Amino acid sequence: MVDNNNNNVNLPPGFRFYPTDEELVVHFLHRKASLLPCHPDVIPDLDLYPFDPWQLQGRALEEGNQWYYYSRRTQNRMTNNGYWMPMGMEEQVVTSSSNKRVGMKKYYVFHIGEAPNGNQTNWIMQEYRLSDSASSSTRSSSKRKSQPKSWVICRVYERDEDDQDGDGTELSCLDEVFLSLDDLDEVSLPN
Amino acid sequence: MPDNMSISVNGQSQVPPGFRFHPTEEELLQYYLRKKVSYEKIDLDVIRDVDLNKLEPWDIQEKCKIGTTPQNDWYFFSHKDKKYPTGTRTNRATAAGFWKATGRDKVIYSNGKRIGMRKTLVFYKGRAPHGQKSDWIMHEYRLDDNTTNDTNLVSNMIGDGGQEEGWVVCRIFKKKNHLKTLDSPSGEGRRSHHLYDTCDEGALEQILQQMGRGCKEENYEANYNNNYGRFARPFESTLNNNGGYNNERFMKLPNLESPKSTSMENNENNNDGYHAIIQVDMANENEGSFSDHHHHHHHNNMVNNPLEASSSSMVIACGDGGLTNWVALDRLVASQLNGQTEASRQLACFTDPTMGYCTNDQDLQLPTLKSSSSTSSLSTHARTTTSTTTTTATAYISPSHDYASEIDLWNFARSTSSLLSSSEPLCHVSNTSV
Repeated sequence: MVDNNNNNVNLPPGFRFYPTDEELVVHFLHRKASLLPCHPDVIPDLDLYPFDPWQLQGRALEEGNQWYYYSRRTQNRMTNNGYWMPMGMEEQVVTSSSNKRVGMKKYYVFHIGEAPNGNQTNWIMQEYRLSDSASSSTRSSSKRKSQPKSWVICRVYERDEDDQDGDGTELSCLDEVFLSLDDLDEVSLPN
Repeated sequence: MPDNMSISVNGQSQVPPGFRFHPTEEELLQYYLRKKVSYEKIDLDVIRDVDLNKLEPWDIQEKCKIGTTPQNDWYFFSHKDKKYPTGTRTNRATAAGFWKATGRDKVIYSNGKRIGMRKTLVFYKGRAPHGQKSDWIMHEYRLDDNTTNDTNLVSNMIGDGGQEEGWVVCRIFKKKNHLKTLDSPSGEGRRSHHLYDTCDEGALEQILQQMGRGCKEENYEANYNNNYGRFARPFESTLNNNGGYNNERFMKLPNLESPKSTSMENNENNNDGYHAIIQVDMANENEGSFSDHHHHHHHNNMVNNPLEASSSSMVIACGDGGLTNWVALDRLVASQLNGQTEASRQLACFTDPTMGYCTNDQDLQLPTLKSSSSTSSLSTHARTTTSTTTTTATAYISPSHDYASEIDLWNFARSTSSLLSSSEPLCHVSNTSV
């Protein structure tokens, strides 16, 4: 279902772009904002193009039914046929080593139609941005003027409600039931 | 730039940032395991060989690291050996614990074709059978070259019969706490959320409820028969006193296999039981002489009584004590019932015939009708056997103390069921039987 050639990265079968939140922020977003080269440069820059989520195919980096791309912060994330509506609170992205906050993560859900009367879909977006302190400390004051809108990384996926067993990387619901049944091994269950 | 992107897992260079070894089940089986069993060279040594008996899960985690990026799961090849030279089970014990299979093996498909099987195992600390379950889970994949037929597969669901030897590829990971993953600050955000979404409370709840319902029905069934047995008892006792049955006859009753008592939850059987009683009733009412029918009815009741042992002992007590009137019998019944109060109260939710058992109005009729008919038939026969008058349609007019016993029974039933909300159907029954 997924091609293994992530642009110019030549990896054996089974290797995929599965970044942690920290990697997305520290390696990809931070370097992009600092105008440093990204190795590997796999995430395309879609800026504020108003693509609908289903139009990301072939435009954004696709891996495991998720699409990654750079964009910019904006108040209203409108697309050709709908809009992304914010959902819930922002979450912190912290480093695994020192638990230091490096960025923020915000959820959106895609609605088809015109705000605020659009119809909710199963398309979800996670928007990663650098935390304010992190971004300001890395930028000189002169650069801040030239970058009026800060970079974000968007991760888009469609929530799949039918996928019961996933890709086998987690326990299925049935597995969980069997697991809990193992606790009752001594009890004779009715047949 | 792409030129120096090559990785060497055990060397110095690393997997590029953001990339992880996250193979599909198909890749694991078709690419890695297939190469392994055919001794083909695998370009990169990403999946190492592990002796499952020598390494604990947390050691595997260390040994099977790929690069320096954080990992949630670890992969390795393992060679399965027989536990004993003659047996078919695999030895998966380590120094600190053991791996125990759970659930049933899952068939892995590729393009609609079966390519292998997946076994799920849990790591227990300690020694079987007293191990302590841990959060470590292993998925063990084995190739399936369509050489095994389906009957073999069924036997493989329990134990390891069949593929007890050879290379398997395994993945271990720590079972996630759903609540934890939700607000986990870093890590596979999408995957954990995804899992939470698909494995929502609803699905799991439904399964568990289904399981619970199965138990409930069973419990209810037993208790329903229990109730039924209570009503049958006065009749047996009086028969024993006046009908000339000897104790030995009752002593044999436990040997009678009751088809009804094991299949009461079946509506058809329920119907049969109900009709049988009514028919005997009618026969008694229509004919002046009923000595033969005593036998019939008696057997009918006894067959429906699952508590043969306890009722027979009670009958013996009646016979020996020379119990001759209903008041004494009432006391006996009451004492018996009081003795059972504790047990019944624990199962209070199952004593109400309307709970879990009857799902609609039609079903509701069955147990209530049955109860009332059996009680009224009891009073009928009890009266006729004690007074030895002819039976008429007015046989339902019973002596007042007969009532008292009946009401006591209902009160008892009601007191237990009042722990729950609905006692309405029971009131209804006691009204109709009056």
